[in-house]
Amino acid sequence: MLTGLDIEGTTLLHRTSARLKLIVLFAVAAGLFAVSNVWLLVAFAIIAAGLYASTGIGLREAFRRVRFVLFTVLLVALANYLFHSLSDALAVLFRLGTLVLLAAAVTATTTVSAFMDEIAVLLRPLERLGLLRAADVSLAVGLVLRFAPEILARYGDIREAHRARGLRARPLGVLVPLVILTLKDADTIAMAIDARGFRRQ
Amino acid sequence: MEIVFSDASVSFAGRTALHPLSLTLFERRIGIIGLNGSGKTTFARLINGLVRPTTGRVTIGGLDTVADEEAARGRAGFIFQNPQHQMILPVLAEDIAFGLKNRGLSATEIAGRTEAVLQRFGIPHLARRRIHELSGGETQLAAIASVMVTGPDVLILDEPTNQLDLKNRRLIEKTVADLPEQAIVITHDLGLLDSFDRVLLFHQGRLAADAPPEDAISRYREIAAC
Amino acid sequence: MSTRDIVLVALFAAIIVVLGMLPPITFGFIPVPITAQSLGVMLAGCILGAKRGAAACLLVVLLVAIGLPVLSGGRGGLAVFAGPTAGYLVGWIAGAFVTGLIAERLVRDSQTEFMQFASFFLAAVVGGIGVVYLLGIAWLSFMSGKAFVETAIASLVFIPGDLIKAVVAMLAARAVQAGYPLLPIRT
Repeated sequence: MLTGLDIEGTTLLHRTSARLKLIVLFAVAAGLFAVSNVWLLVAFAIIAAGLYASTGIGLREAFRRVRFVLFTVLLVALANYLFHSLSDALAVLFRLGTLVLLAAAVTATTTVSAFMDEIAVLLRPLERLGLLRAADVSLAVGLVLRFAPEILARYGDIREAHRARGLRARPLGVLVPLVILTLKDADTIAMAIDARGFRRQ
Repeated sequence: MEIVFSDASVSFAGRTALHPLSLTLFERRIGIIGLNGSGKTTFARLINGLVRPTTGRVTIGGLDTVADEEAARGRAGFIFQNPQHQMILPVLAEDIAFGLKNRGLSATEIAGRTEAVLQRFGIPHLARRRIHELSGGETQLAAIASVMVTGPDVLILDEPTNQLDLKNRRLIEKTVADLPEQAIVITHDLGLLDSFDRVLLFHQGRLAADAPPEDAISRYREIAAC
Repeated sequence: MSTRDIVLVALFAAIIVVLGMLPPITFGFIPVPITAQSLGVMLAGCILGAKRGAAACLLVVLLVAIGLPVLSGGRGGLAVFAGPTAGYLVGWIAGAFVTGLIAERLVRDSQTEFMQFASFFLAAVVGGIGVVYLLGIAWLSFMSGKAFVETAIASLVFIPGDLIKAVVAMLAARAVQAGYPLLPIRT
């Protein structure tokens, strides 16, 4: 549960630095909106699909990951077809499709810790101003990954407790104790972090 | 390491949790016993500054837990009642390394110390395991390792065998007994105290006995019988 | 932020992640299944207040961006931001902030039960629906090419489900406020 979407590999995209991939992705995203030639957009989409496939992800998993976003893209394209023209629809479809596939390719070839390193770089100006500490952000990310499985297990426990008492497990009856019990842990967890001397001044 | 309480007391919202107390702890094995709500945990948390004295002061090896908070805290490791709460990163090795961050150590040094402490407590095989998936005994050992990796002189354990089965209870008892460091243990597991040097009994926020294990435990039985 | 604030923010983000793992609920009278995740956004503002609530949502958005499958249906990664509905996700941050801002200023411990319910409901509707849709639709329109009006109107099919969530958020937020108050109330 909750492991990164990156897949192991040594392909060209895997070897490219996270920073370069992100810069190129943003540049392409901005550039795509300046292109309206459908044939050019189709060519881009084919290249993007090729790059996504080159990550070694496998067709099934590749599709599973982007199907929801591609579905929303398809709906938007459909609206363009119905109310405007086919060429408008195709432009939207292939423009956004290209972007989705490229983004998915970057995610598939970049580890969570590589992303976190880039985040730390982006946070540096804020850190200098004393507004936020990169270490605190990575602590928060770690805490979510640590405690989400715990909270899910607690959700199961609360539902069972309701059933054991012969109550129907209504959403609200589960949600409220789940939130209160979870947030009550904050005091001890915070104390434990302080006890281990992590946030020294 | 000498821990000195000088007229230290603690009140929360007008209620006195611990009445003024003066004593010096220097023994290698110190037990703390008492009924629920008797002030045991408050007393233990004073030692590493997790709780600040309302009056008086507490020093550890000469460092004041309020004025020299960071340094004093570094001398005393603390194992909480529910060790689940003190493991804060998802994978054990990451969590152990967490305590070493922000100390100016290199990545190699951090990895080396993490490996060494896992070896010391016999759990190198758990390094890549998720905290969520560890058993009760494994979590307790992992928590001890995660605290000891920073090299405190004193380890304070709050009911370390509380939620464990008999086998794991034995394992933790042995781990505590083998610690070369000074240990202060809050416990309801009276058998654990047999080999201890000194036992403090708390009752209604006051020190009710400060004696060798047998005497303190028999006084505890009298109190509990009332 | 204090250590406790960081922990509260992270635990709430974890609750939002867990809400995304629960199966979506379908109602006969609403055309689309509703997931509990955006309920978490309203709750974040109502329970933690503006600053910490927005931080919890920002943390979830960050987790999505760095490639963790934390959205409902196990979705995650940068592809989510490339889609036409990314504005709703980013809108969570501002939505939780506004929800918290309103809740902090309207909710009082001395209020009647009805007034507290009304305050939380207003906060959840304005922040959790109004602000989220404002940003969501703005982005959707930008991404939709010429059909921006039509897609914007179509996205309104989610409003009934979101109103149900605002009611649930109102009930839950008041119960949490009674049991373990964390909302920084401003007078």
